[in-house]
Amino acid sequence: MKFRFKVRNIAASICLATLSGMVYADDSVVNLALPTAASFYTRNLLSLNSRSFDSQSSNSSAYLLAANEADTVRDQAGITPATPAVEFRPPLMSGRKAHQYLGLGTLALFGLTAITAPDSERNTKPQTSGTHQSLGRATAAMAAATVATGLLFHWDDFHFEDGFTDPDNLHVMLAGAGALVMLYAVSVAPGHGHSSAGLAGGAAMVVAVKLTW
Amino acid sequence: MMQRKLKVAALLAVALLVSSAYAKAEENFFGENVLAWLLNFQRTKGVKPVTNKQYQDECGGCHFAYQPGLLPAKSWEVLLNAEALRKHFGVNAELDNDTLKVIHDYAVDNAADKSWYKRSRKIAIATAEGPAPLRITELRYISRKHHHISEKMIKGNKGVKSLSFCDKCHTQAAKGVYDVDTVDIPNYPDWSD
Repeated sequence: MKFRFKVRNIAASICLATLSGMVYADDSVVNLALPTAASFYTRNLLSLNSRSFDSQSSNSSAYLLAANEADTVRDQAGITPATPAVEFRPPLMSGRKAHQYLGLGTLALFGLTAITAPDSERNTKPQTSGTHQSLGRATAAMAAATVATGLLFHWDDFHFEDGFTDPDNLHVMLAGAGALVMLYAVSVAPGHGHSSAGLAGGAAMVVAVKLTW
Repeated sequence: MMQRKLKVAALLAVALLVSSAYAKAEENFFGENVLAWLLNFQRTKGVKPVTNKQYQDECGGCHFAYQPGLLPAKSWEVLLNAEALRKHFGVNAELDNDTLKVIHDYAVDNAADKSWYKRSRKIAIATAEGPAPLRITELRYISRKHHHISEKMIKGNKGVKSLSFCDKCHTQAAKGVYDVDTVDIPNYPDWSD
C-alpha cells in the first residue's frame, strides 16, 4: 500500500515537472506574430538619416524596398539593425513563473493539510485515507516539483562562493530541506512524528519563499 | 501533548536557523524584528524603487536614476561628494550643497547594505569586503548575471550601446524589478534562445 503511494507521489512530481518544462519550451518556441517584413525594411531605411531619397516621392515604399545599394549595406555593417519597438509584455507563464506558482501552491496545500489534520487526542486510530492524507501527499509532490523547477530554471542564481547568508543560497537550502522533510513526513504517515516533520518542512518552505519574495 | 511539543520545537528550530543566519550577515538587519519581516507580504525581490523626487530628477536628468540599493553606502559616500561630482565619470555634474545633501543622504540611507530587498542583499554581501565599488556594472553579482549576454546584444546593439543603460532591456527597471521575465533586449526579441 505504502509502495503504491510512493509511486503515485513520484509520478505526480514527474508530471508537474514535465508540465512546467513544457510550459517553458512553449514559451521560447511559439511565436504567433505574423511576418511583417515589408514594413520592417521600409521603416529601417527611413531611420537611416544618412540616406537621401530626394529624387523620389517620400511615401514611395516600393522604391525604398528596392534601395539596397552598397552604401546602405556598409552603413549597417557591424551594427544590429534597429527594428521597430513593440510594446513588451512579460509572459504570463514561463519556467520561472511555473516555479513561483508551484511554490505558492505548495504553501497553500501545506496550510490546507495542516488545517485538515485529525485531532490526535480524539482519534486514537491512525487513518490511512481521507482529505488530510490526500492533501499531504499532494503537498509533498508539489514541493518536489517546486524544487525540481527551481533547480532547472534558477540554476544560475545560487553560488556557494556567496556563502551561507546569500538569500538565494538560503532559499535553495531551506526549500530543498523542507521538501525532503515533507516527503519523509508523508512516507512515515500516519505514524507518530509525521506531523512535526510535516510542519517543520512546511515552515522551512514558508521561510524559503519569503526570502526571495 | 508530546506531539504539540515536537511541533513547537520544530518551528523554533527553523526560526532560529533563519534568524541566526541573517544576524550573522548583518547585525541590524533582521535582528530588529524577524516576525515583522516574515508577515510582511510586500514584494522585495528586486531593489527598492527610487522614491525621492529630487534624486530622481537630478540623477535621472542625465542618466537612468540608479536605485541606491544597487551599491553599498561606502560607494555612495565616495561618489556623492562635491569634489567627486566635478569629475563624475568624466563629466562635471556639480550640484548645489543643499541638493547634494538631499541626494547623498537619500542614497546612503537606502544603500544596498541597508536594504531588505533581495538583490540589494546580494550586492551588499558581495561588496561587504574590499574597496568601495564605483561602477554598478563592475559588481561581481551584476557581471555574473550578464555573462551570457553577448557583446553584439549590448555594445554592438544600437538600441542598447552599454550595460549601464539598465532600462533599455529591463523594462521594469524604474520599479526596481530586474527579473529575467521582464527583459526585452532591443532588436533581439528572441535573446534567450
